[in-house]
Amino acid sequence: MAIQLKQQKKGVTQLAIQGELTIYSVLEHKQALSQYLSSAKDIQIDLADVTEIDSAGLQLLMFLKQEAVSRDISFSLSQHSEAVVEVLELLNLSKHFGDPIVISADWKSS
Amino acid sequence: MAKTIMIVDDSASIRQVVGIALKGAGYDVIEACDGRDALNKLTGQKINLIITDVNMPNMDGITFVTEAKKLPAYKFTPMMMLTTEAADDKKQAGKAAGAKAWLTKPFQAPTLLDAVSKLVLP
Amino acid sequence: MSELDAALTVFAQEAEELLTDMEDALLSLETKPDDSETINSLFRAMHTIKGSSGLFGFNAIVGFTHEAESVLDKVRNGERGIDAELISVLLDSKDHTAKLIEHCLTQKEAALPASLAADGERLIRQLTGRQTTDMQQSDDSVQLEIEGGGEISVDDNWLISLEFQKDAFRNGMDPLSFIRYLRTLGEIKQILTVASEMPVDDDMDPESCYLHFKIAFQSDANKQTIEAVFDFASDDCDIKILPPNSKLEEYLNLLNAQDDNHVKRLGDMLVQVGALTQNDVNHALQSQQANVDAEQEAPSKPLGEILVEQHVVQQPLVDQALKKQEQTKQKLASEANYIRVDASKLGHLINLVGELVISSAAMNLIVERHGLSDAGDVAASMNALVSSIRDTALELRMVQIGETFSRFKRVVRDVSKELNKDIELYISGGETELDKTVVEKINDPLTHLIRNALDHGIESPAQRVAAGKPAQGTVQLNAYHESGHIVIQIADDGAGLNSEKILDKALANGLIKPDHDLSQQEIHNLIFAAGLSTKDQATNLSGRGVGMDVVKKNIEALRGSVEIDSIEGEGTTISIRLPLTLAIIDGFMVGTGQDRYIIPLSMVDECIEMNANECEIDEIQHYINLRGQVLPYLRLGDYFHNQIADSNRKRESVVVVKFGQTKAGFVVDELHGEHQTVIKPLGKVFERLNGITGATVLGDGNVALILDVQGLIQAAIKNKSRPAPFLTSQRIQ
Repeated sequence: MAIQLKQQKKGVTQLAIQGELTIYSVLEHKQALSQYLSSAKDIQIDLADVTEIDSAGLQLLMFLKQEAVSRDISFSLSQHSEAVVEVLELLNLSKHFGDPIVISADWKSS
Repeated sequence: MAKTIMIVDDSASIRQVVGIALKGAGYDVIEACDGRDALNKLTGQKINLIITDVNMPNMDGITFVTEAKKLPAYKFTPMMMLTTEAADDKKQAGKAAGAKAWLTKPFQAPTLLDAVSKLVLP
Repeated sequence: MSELDAALTVFAQEAEELLTDMEDALLSLETKPDDSETINSLFRAMHTIKGSSGLFGFNAIVGFTHEAESVLDKVRNGERGIDAELISVLLDSKDHTAKLIEHCLTQKEAALPASLAADGERLIRQLTGRQTTDMQQSDDSVQLEIEGGGEISVDDNWLISLEFQKDAFRNGMDPLSFIRYLRTLGEIKQILTVASEMPVDDDMDPESCYLHFKIAFQSDANKQTIEAVFDFASDDCDIKILPPNSKLEEYLNLLNAQDDNHVKRLGDMLVQVGALTQNDVNHALQSQQANVDAEQEAPSKPLGEILVEQHVVQQPLVDQALKKQEQTKQKLASEANYIRVDASKLGHLINLVGELVISSAAMNLIVERHGLSDAGDVAASMNALVSSIRDTALELRMVQIGETFSRFKRVVRDVSKELNKDIELYISGGETELDKTVVEKINDPLTHLIRNALDHGIESPAQRVAAGKPAQGTVQLNAYHESGHIVIQIADDGAGLNSEKILDKALANGLIKPDHDLSQQEIHNLIFAAGLSTKDQATNLSGRGVGMDVVKKNIEALRGSVEIDSIEGEGTTISIRLPLTLAIIDGFMVGTGQDRYIIPLSMVDECIEMNANECEIDEIQHYINLRGQVLPYLRLGDYFHNQIADSNRKRESVVVVKFGQTKAGFVVDELHGEHQTVIKPLGKVFERLNGITGATVLGDGNVALILDVQGLIQAAIKNKSRPAPFLTSQRIQ
């Protein structure tokens, strides 16, 4: 299961994406995540277990943010994995998502 | 996690040289000696780039690319054709089949690594 | 002439040429307002005049041209648009500049007359007045603005714009890979990731790519290398790479350093210095072609403009390359093609060559007379040299008629405005050459004929539409060579000549008798008679009944002729036929009795023996039946009354001459063959002589008369009793 529903209460939906977030999985991820966009008021996505992310995966995150904004849903990413941070920094998108990023000490410096 | 590259060529020496160069740069390498062999070796494992010759016995490179693109696990995998300067029509056929990258033979290791790293960094 | 005076003469000449060019450029801008080349030439004209006027201390000119130059500079840089109004003001400015120059040249010390100064001030106001409103237009510098915010600084950075297409992911292209690779070549200073076209909700296909990137990239790599990073994506991505501004200087220097021995195309120049890659150029050319295909009406944009629009190169680079291109062109033009020579020196040279031709003929004669066979060979080779010197010398004075033609653009434009007619001038054959002295003299008659065509020929738009013609009338100026002559045609598609009116007028004026039997052609030619104008109301342009006869006289003074062809309701074509040169001709010498005559060789069709089997002669009717063709003839001996008809005539020959469409035979005693003939004008006393246009001095010191072939043909035709009963011809022994 690539997406895990961690908690759902008072309209706050906490999700975790696991494994790879790439062109091979984005279709599946989008379908799984879309249902929450129609119900939740606050979506928090835990990216700690994202092992790999490519442009398609990144684009999906941008899409989710875009949809959330247009539906007035509060949206946040947390626990970014090393792979996610590398891409967000490469593309200068940290600000776009506006979430605090915690950099772990045991990551290799990139 | 090291990236995995498959090299498909009927020339053992080319496979060897390419293999050494890629491994030296930090990639994992899977070798196949023709299109059919390569298809057999596509068993669902993660492959980040497939480099294939065009003229090969049993199954040529273009057929192989076309077939590989039909496999769900590999339909988005970048493919690189090894072509000769003169065979521009082959390059176009390869592009049409889905191999958007190409490398002109003969090439030397640095050129290969350069081309590969545009698609997949180790 | 002092040095300063000489320099002033050059200045005047140069300024005149520049102003003429400027006028041409302005007029061509009316149809092609975006032609940067033309705008550049306008700017240069004002710029150069300003510069050289400053040298002479002509401050009035400097002041005025400076204003015009500034305006044109703005136009050139795209800060100000050019429209009909501005073109009109600039045309006036051009005229004003010409007046200023004239004033400064003729009355160096005197202050500017008040009227001229006032004109200048008015023009400056018109030139600069609208500037303030227009200037706010696009200051399209190289800042890349992106929807959704942010700008990328471009001073030291390459600007890379990547617009991936939908299938990029599916084709295995991951933009991240390329961007990561890019970092191996330099430093990414800034990057903007945008997905502004990403659809919402269900329409968004996560496997399609909607990502665009703008990257500011600092690197020492060249454009080729940077472009190569995205080679594999080229099918799935629009890639645009703009060099950093700091590179500009390097490119500009390289551009300047390019050798200027041949003119290169803009794209090639920019590729050579590395500002563009061949891909950029191909891409731009494709889109230029696509534009042409899509809308054939609109003129295609210049390549430079497209390149700048596509953000692959900066405007200053394109400007510099264009400038360089122009400089190269000019340098080549001035180096290779022209040396300015005083026309009088040239005239002197041609006179000397004329004398040389005569004395070489004299020498030949002596060599022949004394039977010096070895000297004969030397004389023959010198003869050949002399005749090629003669040809070359004459060619020096040959100029293309195109410049004269293009002056009429302005005439047509102004006159048609004045007359409220819509008339377009088409020019062809402008490259046809003729002697400069002829060109100078043909200008007035041409002006008159064109004004006539505009005024009398072309109808008003309303009349034209009523007659089922397009509202816009056309006047066509054409020139071509025909057997040693230049033919200049002025054709209009107007109302044509009304034979009835001409006849009425001619009868009223007593030019013809009621029982005339004139052909249509002859009736039309009556308009060249003095005192005939068919336009009921004379305008101030033409049509006071003087003019056409003067035109004809002027043209005939040049040993030329004029013919008119008109179809009522469809238009009129006037053909002027002129000799190419007024100085030396290839003649054909004939003799009757003791006298020698020269017929211009170009008019000789053939020579036949009198009474030869191929021609029958009718002595009574005065015509020859030449292979079934009726040919009027003239005995030159009889005609010039120098010889009583001698029944014991030896062999006679007929020289068949043609002029335009007409032919006649001249009967002579002797054929002397070709002769290089230096034309000496006849004195005033002989001006009225019929049948003679000039004389030449022969090698033995005798004089030969040059025949007026056209006049003699007319005489031969008149001589032939009319109508010629062709079938009753009798053969005489």
